Amino acid sequence: MIRGAIEALGRRVLEPIEEVGRVSRIFAFGTANIFIRPLRFRETVKQMEFIGVQSLPIILLTSFFTGAVFTLQSHRAFAMFGAQAMVGGTVGVALTRELAPTLTGLLVAGRAGSAMAAEIGSMRVSEQIDALDAMAVDPINYLVKPRLLASVIVTPLLTAIYDFVGMVGSWYIAMYVLNMSEPEYMKRTQEWIDWDDIWSGLLKALVFGAIIGTVACYKGYYTRGGAAGVGRATTSSVVVSSVAILVSNFFIAWALP
Amino acid sequence: MSRRHRYEEPEPVPIDPVTGQPVAIRYEGVYKSFGEHHVLRGLDLLIPAGKITVIIGRSGTGKSVTLKHVMGLLRPDKGRIFLGDEELTSFTDKKLRTVRNRFGVVFQNAALFDSMTVYDNIAFPLYEHTRMKRKEIDTKVATLLAQVGLSGSEKKVPSELSGGMRKRVGLARALVRDPEFILYDEPTTGLDPILAAAMDQLIVETQDSRPGITSVVISHDMHAVLHIADKVAFLVDGVVYDEGPPEYFRDHTDPLIHQFVTGSLEGPMKV
Ligand SMILES: Nc1ncnc2c1ncn2[C@@H]1O[C@H](COP(=O)(O)OP(=O)(O)O)[C@@H](O)[C@H]1O
Ligand SMILES: [Mg+2]
Repeated sequence: MIRGAIEALGRRVLEPIEEVGRVSRIFAFGTANIFIRPLRFRETVKQMEFIGVQSLPIILLTSFFTGAVFTLQSHRAFAMFGAQAMVGGTVGVALTRELAPTLTGLLVAGRAGSAMAAEIGSMRVSEQIDALDAMAVDPINYLVKPRLLASVIVTPLLTAIYDFVGMVGSWYIAMYVLNMSEPEYMKRTQEWIDWDDIWSGLLKALVFGAIIGTVACYKGYYTRGGAAGVGRATTSSVVVSSVAILVSNFFIAWALP
Repeated sequence: MSRRHRYEEPEPVPIDPVTGQPVAIRYEGVYKSFGEHHVLRGLDLLIPAGKITVIIGRSGTGKSVTLKHVMGLLRPDKGRIFLGDEELTSFTDKKLRTVRNRFGVVFQNAALFDSMTVYDNIAFPLYEHTRMKRKEIDTKVATLLAQVGLSGSEKKVPSELSGGMRKRVGLARALVRDPEFILYDEPTTGLDPILAAAMDQLIVETQDSRPGITSVVISHDMHAVLHIADKVAFLVDGVVYDEGPPEYFRDHTDPLIHQFVTGSLEGPMKV
């Protein structure tokens, strides 16, 4: 009975460590494979297209409304001390530094990351990954690398789109709902938003892309237990990558100037 | 008939006592556990070259695990596996990958790539490992599809195929690189008796039309065993319980084997 308890405790401690080890391995081998032939250029482009198509509509929609609602709320707050003119700049900085990368990351994790985990997971449980191995095709090279690479490339691109459309939403509300003066709005916005803000947002997006690709491939690759297992892998890929995005976001913000 | 080329080797080729053929694959005291679950417990098994060996046993006794070891998809905890005179278990991962090119595998549920057409599924190993021209690939795929009785199905996708058809495509894919070994994991499970008989016939035809090819079939279908096997190994609890030619099993008096052969609920094996 005591032995059982100690063993249970041991598993409790060891399992997360093992899991971290396996995640790191997927990331490390996936990255190392970038320069290992076959390069999988076509497969990578296909995955980029997949992530883009899956995520773009929802990103266009949410980015516009994020910019819009943020403008509306900050305008209310700034109006209390007569600083309405600062709205464009404030929204711009918040959007490019924080909101765009984080929300893009969460949306890509929810749409494309989950689909990737489900696809690889079902390939695992139906022995398609064993079949790749049996044909002497490295599944890391064939499945993981293109997806990891694609999500690292596409997440920043989608974030840039989020930045732009979010600002369009902000501008639209400022002009047509709040009736602000256009030259004033534009001037302040340009003064406030720095290239640094944009770059730091895109750098974050790059990290989030790596998180999404790694977690989705990891969860899919180590799926067990049939269709139910695929379901669990899918859900937990979204949960884990969302949490990882939000937590790492804090630390990147802390580390960056 | 020996397929060894290095004649200066002094030691004699081991001979499989059941078939009198040279040994192609040899398991020597192989152990494999998954956590607390001990699957293989000192497996000793000889696979004769150029013959059909059928491994039978109940579900979950480690038949698939046995096959995965010989391709290096799993590594044993203990024991050795030889391919000809090479010790597979001493190979690096890289070298194991090249060994896999000598095998074709038909997986239990075919394991076709759902995102690809039948043509691409069969051609995939050629895309990956050869520089064959499109025309040559076309011919090769058409020939193989004809052999498995599915001519003209190139453009279909796996979801449009029945279970039996998928396994046939899986066989075509396994054969596309002319392997020395072909491994079948439960080729008839899930098929109706007629399709199962057709699949058995296809296994025999494949064996006969490719001289020198070594087949290993995993099954729990006694019908198949008696019709296609040159050698049968009966697996119980991760070891070979008994082995011999198929006739040996038909009239076996051992209660365990008798129960399995007759599919009876009465006997030493419990459900
Ligand atoms: N990769 C694995 N991880 C953990 N357990 C496994 C793995 N592969 C097989 N097993 C377990 O090993 C046992 C034997 O499996 P298998 O060889 O597939 O049986 P079968 O004889 O039906 O083919 C099963 O209980 C299975 O759950
Ligand atoms: Mg099996």
